Amino acid sequence: MTALSGTPTVRTLTELDLDGIVRIAEKTRGRYEPDLWEDRVTYYLRRAQEGSVVAELDGEVVGFMLGDIRSGEFGIEERSGWIEVLGVDPDLAGRGVGRALADEMLKRYGARGVRTVRTMVDRSMPEIEAFFTKLGFEADSLRPYSKRID
Amino acid sequence: MTTTTTEIPKKFHDAVLKWRETYLPDYDYLIENWDRYFPRDDKFRLCAYREQGMPCAIECGEDAGKPKFTKACEMKPEAAQHLVAAIRAQASTEFGSIQQHQLTLARAQDEEEQAMVLRMMAEELRHGYQMLHLLTEDDWRPITGQTREQTVEEILSMKTGSHVLGAFNIDFESFVDNIVFCGLIDRVGKYQLAMQKVSAYAPMADSMPQMLREEAFHLAAGVVPLRRWVVKAAHGAATITMEVIQKHLNKWVPRAYEMFGDERGGGTNVKWGLKPMKNAEAQDQYAKEVAKVVRDLNMRYLRARLPELTLTEAEAGLSALERDRGGFRGVRFAELLRLPHREYARRRGVPAFTMVGLDGEKFENLEAFLAHLVRTLPDGYRATRDFQDYVTNLTAVARGEKSAAEAQKFMPQLRRVGGVCPCSKAVRWVADAGVELPAAV
Repeated sequence: MTALSGTPTVRTLTELDLDGIVRIAEKTRGRYEPDLWEDRVTYYLRRAQEGSVVAELDGEVVGFMLGDIRSGEFGIEERSGWIEVLGVDPDLAGRGVGRALADEMLKRYGARGVRTVRTMVDRSMPEIEAFFTKLGFEADSLRPYSKRID
Repeated sequence: MTTTTTEIPKKFHDAVLKWRETYLPDYDYLIENWDRYFPRDDKFRLCAYREQGMPCAIECGEDAGKPKFTKACEMKPEAAQHLVAAIRAQASTEFGSIQQHQLTLARAQDEEEQAMVLRMMAEELRHGYQMLHLLTEDDWRPITGQTREQTVEEILSMKTGSHVLGAFNIDFESFVDNIVFCGLIDRVGKYQLAMQKVSAYAPMADSMPQMLREEAFHLAAGVVPLRRWVVKAAHGAATITMEVIQKHLNKWVPRAYEMFGDERGGGTNVKWGLKPMKNAEAQDQYAKEVAKVVRDLNMRYLRARLPELTLTEAEAGLSALERDRGGFRGVRFAELLRLPHREYARRRGVPAFTMVGLDGEKFENLEAFLAHLVRTLPDGYRATRDFQDYVTNLTAVARGEKSAAEAQKFMPQLRRVGGVCPCSKAVRWVADAGVELPAAV
């Protein structure tokens, strides 16, 4: 595969991006999971066609960010933009792909009247925490709780 | 952005409900079982949507930058004529596709796939309803000479065979048609909707975003089952094979290309600001997109046949198969799907009634080309009146009895009179005399 060059362009997610997303996920997670990602991509496409984006370089999908605008859950009445799934081709780490995706998502949310954007970060992924911190995200009072049901 | 909703005047709304009773008899089942099949999606609602916050200025054409038109009477008559023809054609395709899908909906082998198609049909109904909203909200009589009542009645009375666009006059023979149609023909619809989103006529532009959101599901309703089928085919399933899928691609892809209109046309729509690109450019983009769909399906097939492949090996293997058309670790190129050549089996546009084969090979001999069509098209389709009409015209052109232009212009309109079910004894086939089809918009 020839090396990709240039600045990524970011555009709205379409169902044609699935194979690119599957490829990125396979590179990062080590598993070929087309059905899983198809389910996720279809879900986001149905919920809000312009709410999720992909980054493209030389016609190849090199990153994706899936999200949605919601309110009324967890006691949050304010319409909030959510960034829920993020993936960047590891071969292009440090090339600004994630930043480009986030900038576009934040711009789109702002254009739709959103004033707060939320996400959740696993403490076991410091690089993700660092990414969102650099973007200006801060730890929130909302905390994830979980309980195992065996 | 937010949307507002509205209903068309009651008499027209009731007419659509009546139409639905005949052509979408499983609608109530869909609504009753909506939460079972689509638990995360908003429930279906039959209404017209209008997106708020859309651009107010015309985005292309000779009036770019000026305020968008909100009424037909504000437009130049020729532009309004083009526009109303497009709206009517759009309405016709929406209702027409439901009639097609209904024929073979019950033949689905998988309940979930069937539910996806049923939901798609309900949303196509809403799209037709949206177009009726445009046709009844504004006064088009000075342009069409028709009252609103006449327009609505004309559209709702169309049956398979009398719809404006050719693809919607071809019967489905099996559930494979339903799925390939969703994946390919709805994809053309997506292009048209995306282009119409920049329409200089604001009500049309405002109608598109919700339709595009719904169309995204329709495409998934086609592509998701196709992906499952190629994986099953890779595992040796005897039900739907790669050969069956390929023959259905061969049946529908030429019709999809023709839906963009003549390759030389579309300039008028760009000039009037109704669409941002000409027919050939839109068709080129579509061809690239469908090529991607086919490649993705082939990748699924290859990785299902050879699950031990890494990502790098799979990509290299598929590229080698495509380049050399040979074999890769026991998988032959002939097993894979391929996109029919742009000029294959065409009856409209620049390559109409030329004898070009699946891979672009030129035929000099009519009999040889007909034999090629027999090998490459589904058996059930070859027994239809549509295929018979194509062969009749093709033969006439090949023998010099008719020019391609004449054969293009006049295709007998086929109407089914009587019940929807093809098994109904009440069904009669009526072939009208040649009818000049409307110029491609």
